[in-house]
Amino acid sequence: MNYSPITALVVFFGVSILLFFIFRPKKGIFFLVKKIYQQKDKTIIEDILKYLYHNQIANNTITTNDLTNTLSFSNAMIIESLNKMMDNELVVLEKDNYKLTTKGNEYALQIIRAHRLWEKYLSEKTGFHKAEWHERAEKKEHELSVVEIDKLSSLLGNPKFDPHGDPIPTSKGKIAKIKRGVPLSSLKENTIGKIIHIEDEPDIIYKQILAENIHLYSTVRVIENNTTRVIFHSEGEQFILAPIVAGNITVSVLEKDEVKEDDITRLSSLLLGETAKIIGLSKECRGENRRRLLDLGFVKGASIAIDLLNPLGDPKAYLIKGTSIALRKNQASKILINKNKNGK
Amino acid sequence: MKSKINNNIERIIALSEELRWQIGDDFHDNLAESIYADASKIVEDAVIKDNEKAKFRLDAKIDKIVTSKIWGFPIMLFILGIVLWLTIIGANYPSAMLASVLLDTFLPILKNTGEALGFPWWLSGFLFDGVYLAVAWVIAVMLPPMAIFFPLFTLLEDFGYLPRVAFNMDSLFKKSGAHGKQALTMSMGFGCNAAGVIATRIIDSPRERLIAIITNNFSLCNGRWPTQILLATIFIGAVVPESYSSFASLSAVIGIAVLGIFFMFFFSWALSKTVLKGEVSTFNLELPPYRPPVFWKTIYTSLIDRTIIVLWRAIVFAAPAGAVIWLISNIYVGNESIASWTIHSLDGFGFLLGLNGVILLAYIVAIPANEIVIPTILMLTVMVTGIHGGVGEGVMFELDSVTATAAILKAGGWTLLTAINVMLFSLLHNPCSTTIYTIYKETNSLKWTVIASVLPVVAGFIVTFLVAQIWRILIG
Repeated sequence: MNYSPITALVVFFGVSILLFFIFRPKKGIFFLVKKIYQQKDKTIIEDILKYLYHNQIANNTITTNDLTNTLSFSNAMIIESLNKMMDNELVVLEKDNYKLTTKGNEYALQIIRAHRLWEKYLSEKTGFHKAEWHERAEKKEHELSVVEIDKLSSLLGNPKFDPHGDPIPTSKGKIAKIKRGVPLSSLKENTIGKIIHIEDEPDIIYKQILAENIHLYSTVRVIENNTTRVIFHSEGEQFILAPIVAGNITVSVLEKDEVKEDDITRLSSLLLGETAKIIGLSKECRGENRRRLLDLGFVKGASIAIDLLNPLGDPKAYLIKGTSIALRKNQASKILINKNKNGK
Repeated sequence: MKSKINNNIERIIALSEELRWQIGDDFHDNLAESIYADASKIVEDAVIKDNEKAKFRLDAKIDKIVTSKIWGFPIMLFILGIVLWLTIIGANYPSAMLASVLLDTFLPILKNTGEALGFPWWLSGFLFDGVYLAVAWVIAVMLPPMAIFFPLFTLLEDFGYLPRVAFNMDSLFKKSGAHGKQALTMSMGFGCNAAGVIATRIIDSPRERLIAIITNNFSLCNGRWPTQILLATIFIGAVVPESYSSFASLSAVIGIAVLGIFFMFFFSWALSKTVLKGEVSTFNLELPPYRPPVFWKTIYTSLIDRTIIVLWRAIVFAAPAGAVIWLISNIYVGNESIASWTIHSLDGFGFLLGLNGVILLAYIVAIPANEIVIPTILMLTVMVTGIHGGVGEGVMFELDSVTATAAILKAGGWTLLTAINVMLFSLLHNPCSTTIYTIYKETNSLKWTVIASVLPVVAGFIVTFLVAQIWRILIG
């Protein structure tokens, strides 16, 4: 073959495009083949169990159609799996509705335990962004054995709640009653509540909530609530959400004299010249980050002020306990403060 | 009886688990936090601080200036410029002195001694023209810049200025998923990549530290500056009118260094979004108070801790490299030496990249030290073309005169494209073996070491390939 620079370029770009289509994230041929290979019976059975469990808690009845419509497996595979599950006494059919047996219930709880523990692990011990936790846990839950799950649990100090605020079932299959809360969208104006759960499904709504920087366990006060939007204050910031998005945030209503919501703001809103007392770290500040901040002295009661502004805006240096520590804005937004009213 | 006890125990365990649910998620954190808060309260009550205010005032003034919108960046660039200028210009004289002592004085003495002791030609060639020459070269080229650069850098570090640089630069680095302190390890890499990799210890967040380690090689190190300057002077300076030639070649060298910074940002971003996204990432940066550096102590420790250690590693690797270079050009298989056989088989691939077999072989055998790339290229070119020059078969050399060097390279078939691509490839190729070894020591992981070594060379292949094809289409 004769060399010409144009042929060389064409061959190069041809190979690059080919490689792109094979290894493109998620949609690449390589990943699609891998996914088909991984769609084992076990995965389908476990996904059906989980689906039935969640609906049983919510008192919904589930028919074959519901399953084939919601789960992303072929109908034939789902029906085959359902038959297998009935043979193994995991589910029973009552008037077209599937019900979990005690054995099925226990199995479902083990999967949920694996899922929530893995999310907890991702949040505490890795650097994956929280938007990725759920999807990764959806895969990992089918791969962990019971022994591995128990090991994971003790590695994490036997946590009781996952990073979204959901309780983690114990190894014996016990689970706490879900805390009674109401959707944020149902709160009347001027009600004060505490966010106790942020639902991570469906993905689109969860990502919207994440983009807003709303923090779990923060106190909220509803300013406006109508059919088009919900406006509320939390940690000194104002948030505007569509009611359908606000419906995925669960809050427990607090009595008015129990807390003073207005006093709490985020460190990121502190201005040069102002001083403040630290109230604590937000629950969203996790793992290594949290320990580091505590080590540096960002603890309840410490007084704090801005030491230096940055020529590019971020990070800012804060004066705490006589030391100047620079923090980025997303870190400062997870430190809660109470501004001193009279300046110094 | 026993079952009753067991029953009770189980009841207690069940109850405790039930209670744990009720206490909730916050319990442990609240406990830990209140311990921290109590501790800080005790400190506040018990420790008396005095005179802190007055000391703090001067610090605050310096801080205001070095982090101001107007002065922050000019001051930074100015200081970095001065340090690099002092290093590159200042190192020339001691380098020339060392070279004349080690190469012109000692080498003949060693050779005479060998002759007097009746060494066969191959033993004295192997020992003196191979091992000794490579080691001497590395010492002469590497020691002076490091002995100037590291103490200057350490002085700035001790004074407390460097954390302010990290503070100013952080927002740029954050965009590519890196830590502001990478600005420092990157600058350190301009001196020596191995030292830059060691310097990443200042980054305490695992993900950002790995990014800094893997991308440090994109900082043009001391071993590569002379190559860039030489090639830019010969080839780039020649295409513009003579009055502009030194300006053009200087801009070309700076352009390559800036291109390196661009690649560093690009790969930092790509790594943080792909293979490194699961690593734990934290950020904190303490801005310590300024203090006058302890001058002599700093000089001493930076010489011992950084310069000597890095130099020693380089020598350990350079010695066998010198042996290999001498052996491949003096061992014959059939009519051809191993070197010329390899060069011919690499020529085709080299041509695709706008390089040639000589250059590729030089970069393979010179993995231990970038300093010996040009001497190796000159030696191999003379050997392949059969022109007159150099000091003997399979012996590395360098010429004092730039024109003589240019003549040899042009006889080897070099064009402007070759020169540009060698400059690019000198920026984008695997780290030297000292750096690779250091990366392994620092990460303790074969995986990251392989990624850090392969990534730049793949980038180099792609970039030189594209430049070569586009050049041939547009210019011919």
